[in-house]
Parts: sequence; structure tokens; C-alpha cells
Amino acid sequence: MIAAEEIDVKCVGLTKTFRDFWMRPRVKAVEGLDLEIRRGEVFGLLGPNGSGKSTTIKMLLGLLSPTHGRIAVLGRRPRDVATKKHVGYLPEESYLYRFLSARETLDYYGRLFRIPATTRRHRIDMLLDMVGLEAVEHRPVGEFSKGMQRRVGLAQSLINDPQLLILDEPTSGMDPVGARQIKDLIADLGRRGKTVLLCTHQLSDVEDLCDRVAIMFGGRVHAQGTCDELLAREDQTTIRTESLPAGVVEEIRGVLARHGVGHVDVERPRRRMETLFLEIVERARAAGAETSGARSGGRVADFLRADEAAAVESSGGLQAAAVDSGVGRAVDSGLIDSLVNR
Amino acid sequence: MDASHTAPSRGDLSRQPWWRSAASTWAATMAGIVAIGLGSAALLEAQGSEMVSSGVRFATLAATVAWAAFGLFGLVAPQAAWQPAAAYCALVFGGAGLAEALARAGMPGWATAGLLVQVGAALASAWWTWRAFRSGPRFRAAATWLTATVGAAAVVWFLVRHDRTVAATGLAGITAMAVGCMAGLWALRAALSGATGITGIARTVLDEAVRMRVAVALLVLLVVMVPTLPLLLDHSERLAYRVQFFLSWALGGSGFILALLTIFLACGSVCGDIDSNRIHMTLSKPVSRLEYLGGKWLGIAAFNLFMVALAGAGTYTFVKVLAATQASDGDDRAMVDRQVLTARAEIQPAHEKPEEFDGAIAAALAQLERDEPDAFRRNPAGVRSRIRQEYMWIWHTVTPDTVSTYVFQGLPAEPVGLQLQLKPRVNNVEVDLADVRFVLWINDRPWPVKDGVHVEQTLPSLAVTTLDIPADVVGDTGTLKLTVANRNLVPAGETQPTAIQFAPGDGMKVLHRVGGFDANYVRCLVVVWVKLAMVAAAAVAASTFLGFPTAILLSLAVYFAALGSGFLRDALAEYNVVADTALGSVLTRLSEAARLAGSLRLYEAGRMLLGFVTDGVLWMVPAFSDYDTVAKLAAGIAITPTTVLSCLLKLGVLYPALIGLLGWVGFERRDLVRSSS
Repeated sequence: MIAAEEIDVKCVGLTKTFRDFWMRPRVKAVEGLDLEIRRGEVFGLLGPNGSGKSTTIKMLLGLLSPTHGRIAVLGRRPRDVATKKHVGYLPEESYLYRFLSARETLDYYGRLFRIPATTRRHRIDMLLDMVGLEAVEHRPVGEFSKGMQRRVGLAQSLINDPQLLILDEPTSGMDPVGARQIKDLIADLGRRGKTVLLCTHQLSDVEDLCDRVAIMFGGRVHAQGTCDELLAREDQTTIRTESLPAGVVEEIRGVLARHGVGHVDVERPRRRMETLFLEIVERARAAGAETSGARSGGRVADFLRADEAAAVESSGGLQAAAVDSGVGRAVDSGLIDSLVNR
Repeated sequence: MDASHTAPSRGDLSRQPWWRSAASTWAATMAGIVAIGLGSAALLEAQGSEMVSSGVRFATLAATVAWAAFGLFGLVAPQAAWQPAAAYCALVFGGAGLAEALARAGMPGWATAGLLVQVGAALASAWWTWRAFRSGPRFRAAATWLTATVGAAAVVWFLVRHDRTVAATGLAGITAMAVGCMAGLWALRAALSGATGITGIARTVLDEAVRMRVAVALLVLLVVMVPTLPLLLDHSERLAYRVQFFLSWALGGSGFILALLTIFLACGSVCGDIDSNRIHMTLSKPVSRLEYLGGKWLGIAAFNLFMVALAGAGTYTFVKVLAATQASDGDDRAMVDRQVLTARAEIQPAHEKPEEFDGAIAAALAQLERDEPDAFRRNPAGVRSRIRQEYMWIWHTVTPDTVSTYVFQGLPAEPVGLQLQLKPRVNNVEVDLADVRFVLWINDRPWPVKDGVHVEQTLPSLAVTTLDIPADVVGDTGTLKLTVANRNLVPAGETQPTAIQFAPGDGMKVLHRVGGFDANYVRCLVVVWVKLAMVAAAAVAASTFLGFPTAILLSLAVYFAALGSGFLRDALAEYNVVADTALGSVLTRLSEAARLAGSLRLYEAGRMLLGFVTDGVLWMVPAFSDYDTVAKLAAGIAITPTTVLSCLLKLGVLYPALIGLLGWVGFERRDLVRSSS
């Protein structure tokens, strides 16, 4: 069994029923959901529209109260202020104040995390650079395109250097360059020991990024496991080499036929469209073409701490915060234990 | 990141190399001034106007100072945007100075030429400056405001030079308020700059208030209304009334507009967050829902504070301007100073023999209880209050054959500005007012006495008559005894002379000065603000469980109920209060309703129960009429610190806390998504 400290999100028997004005049950959005997300993993939550992904996420964030079941996020109740201090959230659409500029928006959310002014300014500089919006930082967010708003949304979700990052459709509305950057970012954050809950329809993203995946339908989890577990095909083998002359291919066919392999497909692989697109944009930028939109963005902001020590430190900070706020450590471990031993 | 990202965008100006360096800016400034001189010289032959030349003279001093300051600043400032700004000021003011110097040298034609060139230069430079500042977003607002302020100042100056003093005052007032507005907002944002959940949310509400169109529209209305109101007043009216009218309408109107603004802002902010899901972003941060509501309320209250201060400053300035204008006569002037722009304590009359008075009422009640036990039992408190009212009226009526005495207690030993205010009326509308006469005695001595004759009072043509009383008539006991005798003649066609009445409450009072107008004014503004804070709390609480339109309706209902609840309370007291205590009232009403229902008088029973609803509403909504400080201020009545404190406690702390908690309890349990996948 995995130690309680290693589990960042734990849901047991989670059920959410939406009721109408007369309190009659109307929609059962999530039903008996059991979920466990371990520290430092990138976890993919998949499912068609209306399968209960967003409802689950909103319960994890404390925006919705579960009808039944229990949730522990970073060892505490989701509504606990001390929990939310270490959570970053990018919603499925960018719900931003249209009248605030990009910088003001990040500043606002930074204040809500009680980040001191100097640190805040420093982080905002790095984040704006990271998402490529430093040139338009004073324009009101309402004037931004959808993709640019997504970039602001992404930046705000990282301003507190979160231990748990919840991303709902992070690449929707993004151009392929931005989508690639977000994927790189997620992979990088995973390497740095952050826990990422990724909720998306882009199945290729999930394959590329996620350590483990849960597939939901009708409010229930129908499959859960690592990508390899879920995707490996036991009945086929693929061999990939440099381009081969026709003679060599025939020779290999012969060898395979000797071993009783009847059906062999030989194809010339195509490049992926994403790769081609990125190459073209990169060439245009190198040639000095002007743009009034988002720029390419830079590398991952430095303050998003990398090593295990940082993770331990942040969880230590968490405990201290819990004691300060009067929620004892014992209570929290109790909550976790009760969830784990159930 | 490549270098092109970091280079600050300087707009079109950056492409004009000769503007780039500080030295060339300075050279351009100098060239501008020389050009003005040369242009003026060319037009020297043309005959200039004396008025314009004297107008130019006006700017000289400011010109020299501004030129030096801005010119120097333009030399050292690193931002390219400051340089044309400095050039702008230098051109306008420097040119004015040069023209002035030449005009003084006896060449008025120079001044005309100088002025023309200056106007052109000023317009061009203003346009330039504005564009330069716009290119750097940090200075965008500053550029607009600088340009607008300098422009308005120039127009004011022009109006002053042409003796349009009233228009100049109005424009100056609007400009000062607008500039004060920006400075105040800046200060408020700085005050809310702490990195906490509550101040962070409050600060964003403030930004929303400024950038929301409804707020801007109302703000403009306010900024225009307050300074222009005195200009619209009828100048043939007595000054004291004009000042009173302006005070009550400017403050009352501002209070009303701000209450509407508060409701729209509060409901728009909270409901907007919920409807657009922005609240998901805020509440997924370490902010509790109580902090969220607290932040919203604080932001609106802070915005209100600023708005009240702004409207208050504007009203104050114009009250002072108005009060300084020509009064109708000496009496009018005295009235302004001693009855309007002052703070007086008022003392209501007491009965000379209270035991006797109470005894008479008690006897009447006993009689009534014997004669009509049913009516008495149905509503004892109502009957008591009605009988007491009747006796008060009798006591405040001076019949032709009687002398009535009224005692005013609790005066200081040496009161300042002691006044007797009478609002007499007659019970016969047909009578010629000049025939209605009465005489007064103070502390048993005839008063006023003129040339050895006891002066008779006639019914005043104005509704209220105010008489100054010498301070020395008040004894050590702090008591003033007023005796009124009815000396009416018998009107034509009547057999009895007319009785004179002083309505209980406001028909007769003694006033004395206890403080100045300024302090009273500030206290009044505090109360206006506290009321707005209460409205904000109600609107925020309503928005926690209602959608935008319904939340606005409910908040408006609360506001109007608060405005009218004093009146409602009085009107309903007669038949709604059926016992002396609240519990007794409830029980009596329930049993009465049961009895009526038992005898199948269902409509009456229903009406009896409906009393609970009105009682509930009256209990829920605090009465603004208890704190009608604007009326008091306009009447020159002192607003006591006790009133302000009680208002602050009840409307500013207790009510918001109570209603905020109620709103929070529901909000805490509310799912912030209606239904979702």
C-alpha cells in the first residue's frame, strides 16, 4: 500500500447529484467515484462530454459539495484554505476579468495567495515571459484572443508554485506552438515532482504525457491504469529502422517467412503535422516576421521548484499552515487513514 | 527572449530622431519660443486688444515657474514621453511670459500675436504629448488627464479674464472634482494594496467600479450635478433658502445616486462573478467564501467612501461659494450665518407640571377603559398613544382666554446664539393673518420689550419665525420658561378670537449654538457613507442567492423600505402595535386572529396576521429616518456624535454583520455550478 503522504488526491465513493429548485434530483453527474492520484505523477482524466470530469474537478476544488463520499486533497478537505494554497487550477475556459490587463490579472491572483509584492512582481515577470505575453501585458484581457486568454489562465495557475496542478482542457483554443509548449511544461513539471491532474479530449496528449489514466463514462471510472498497461498490444511487434533499400526489405521478409510470420506491413512513416507546423513557425520567427499576438514564450519559470527537497519543503509548509489555522496534523492524517483503510 | 521584445514601444515619436535626446527637446522648446516672438513681431502692426493683453499677463508667474520646472524635468527625465510634455508646457507658459513681458513694454499687439501662436502651439503640443504618452501604457491615463486638466485650466483662465466668473467657478469646480476623483482613486488603490484575500478582492471591485460603464455614467452625472446645481438656483430667492436648498438637494441627490450605483455595482460584481464562472478562479485560490463576500463589501464601501468624499468636497466648496454671494438683506445674511451654516442643539418644551399632565392623561385613559372596554382591550398601546397625542395638541394650543407655559430645560449656563423658533398656525384658515397676535414672556418677564412697550407677535408671513433671545435670561438652573398669551382680535363674522397652535415636535423649540458647520458637515457625510455601506451589505447578501435582476430588485426594495420605514412605522403604529411588548403584541394578535377566524371573519383575521409581515419587514430594515442628517444639516441643527456613533454601530457594523452572516450561511452551502458535465 502507498503511504498516505504519497497520495495528493484521494476520492472514495464520490457521488454528485444535481438537484433542481424543488430539490428533486435531476442529474447524477458523478457516481461512486474512487480515485487516487499519487504525488509527482501526471494523471489523465479522460471521458466524453458529460462524463463527469469537470464536476469531479470542481469537487476537488471545493466549488461543489459532494452528495456522498469523501475527498482528501493534499491530506485535507478541499475547501480548506491551507489546501488551496498549494493548488493551481486552469479551468476549461478562461474566466478572467475583462477589464484587468494581463499583468493586473496575475497580480490579483498573486495577492489572493498572499505572495509578497517583490516576489509577486518577479514571478509575474517570469510567467509573462514563459507564456509569451510580456509585450502585451498592459492590454486588457478582454481584448485578447481565446488562446492568449488561455495563456493568461495558465500563468495564473502557476503563480503560487503549486504542488498540485489541475488543468482542464489546457490546450483548447491554443495554437499548435502554444499547445506544444503546454505539453512540454506539463512534462517538465512532472519531472520536477509536481502532481498534475490533466483533463482533456486530446488523446495524443494523454499518451505523450500521462503516467496513469482514468477513463470516465456516465459519472463512473471504467478503466484506470498506466498508459502501458492500458495500451500495450500483446499480438503485434513493431521494428523501426533507418530507411532500407528494397533488397534488404525482401531479405527480412524472407527471414520472417522462415519463422512462420505470414503478414508483414512495410510503410514509409510520415512526419506528424505538429512537427511540420512547428518547423514553419520557427523558420518565420528566425526570419524576423512581426506579430501583434502572443510570442513564442520562453522556458519554464525558474520559481517552479524542481527537486524533491522543494516538494518536501512545500509539504512541510503545508503542515505548518495547518497547525496555524487550527487544523491539526493528526486530524488530517486521520482523514487520510480513514480514506485509505476504507 | 530576443531584444525586440524588451525595447519599449515609443510610438511614432521614436521615429523622429530629433526628439530623441533631451538636448534637442530643449532646443526645440527654445525655437518654439523664438518663433512666437518672431510671429508676434510680424503682427506687431496689427492693433491688439487691451483685454487679451491683460489676459496674457495673468499667466506670467505660473509660466515662469512651470517653464523652469518642466524644462528642467524634460532635460533629466529618461522617458521620451516626458520631453514633449515639457516642451508643451514650456511653449504655452513660456510664450505667455514672453508676450506678457512685451505687453508690459507697451506693445499690446505683441500679446494678440503671441496668444494666437500659443494656442496653435499648445494644441499641436497637446496632441503630440498625448500620443507620446499613449504609446507607453503606464502613462496613458496620466497623459489624458494632464492634457484635459491643462486644457480646462486654460478655459477657466479665459473665462475669468472675460468676467464670466460663474461659468469659470462651475468649470473649475468640475475640473477640481474630476482631478480629485483620479487622485482619490489612486490613493484608495494604494490603501488596498495589501497582499491578502480581502484587500485583493476589494481592489478589483474598485477597478471594476471605475471601469464599469454604469458607474462611469453615474459618476459623470454626479460630477456635473454637484457643481452646477448652485448655478441653476433662482437668484431672486433669499440666499438662506438657496443655501439650504442646495445643501439638501446636493447631498440628498448624491446619496440617492450613490445608493443606486452601490446596488448596481454590488449585484453586478457578485452576480457577474457567479454567472461568468469567474468565481471559480477566485474561490479555488486560498480565499474563504466569507473573505470573498467581505472583500466585495469592503471594495464597495471603499468606493463609496471615496465617492462621498468627492461629492462632499464639491458640495462644500459650492456651499461656501454660494454663501459668499450677495444676500437679499441683513436679515438674510444673519439667517445664513446663524440658522444655516451653523450647528445648533434643539430643546423641546416640557410641561411646567408634568405630574398634573400625566395625571390628566391617566384619568382620561381610565375613563375610556370604563366606557369602551372592547376598543381599549383590542389595542391598548394604540389607545394610549392616541390619547397622549390628543393631550399634547391641547397643551400646544393657546386658546383666546388662556395663557400657556412651556419649560425648556437643560440649557447651558451661558448659551451662545440662543434662539426661540416658533411655527405658529391657526385653526381657522379664513382668518386674516395680520389679526392673529400673541405675546410672550420669558421667565415671567415680558419679552421682547422695545422702548418700554411689550412687543406683540403677529403670525409671520414665513412659516417659521426665529427670535434671538439674550443669553442672560437663562438662570443658573439652565431653565427657560416661555409663556404665551393669545391676544387675538375677534375676526369679522366670528364671535370668538382664533386659537393658536404649535404642532408638537416642531412647532416650538429653543435652539442654541453648540458647534460649527464644518464639523457638522463631516458628521453628516459619515452618516451618508454608513447608510451606503449598509445598502452595499444588503446588495452583496442578496446577490449570494439571487440572480442579477432579482438581486437588484430586492436590494432596491430594502433601500426604499429603509428610506420609508420611519413613515411606515408611524403609519402602522396606530393599529399594528397591539400591546406594550413585542411578545405581548404577537400573542394578542394571534389570539385576536383566532377569535376573528372563529367567528368566520376571515378577511379581518387575515389582515391581523398580515401585521406580522409588515412588522417583520420593519424589524428587518433599519430606518434611515432615524438618521436624517442631511435635513438636520440644512436646518443648521447639530448632528451629535452619539447619533453618528449609533448610526455607525447599527447601520455600519451590526446590520452588515447580521445580513452578511445570513448571506454567508446560504453562500457557504451553495454549489457554484448549476449543472455541469
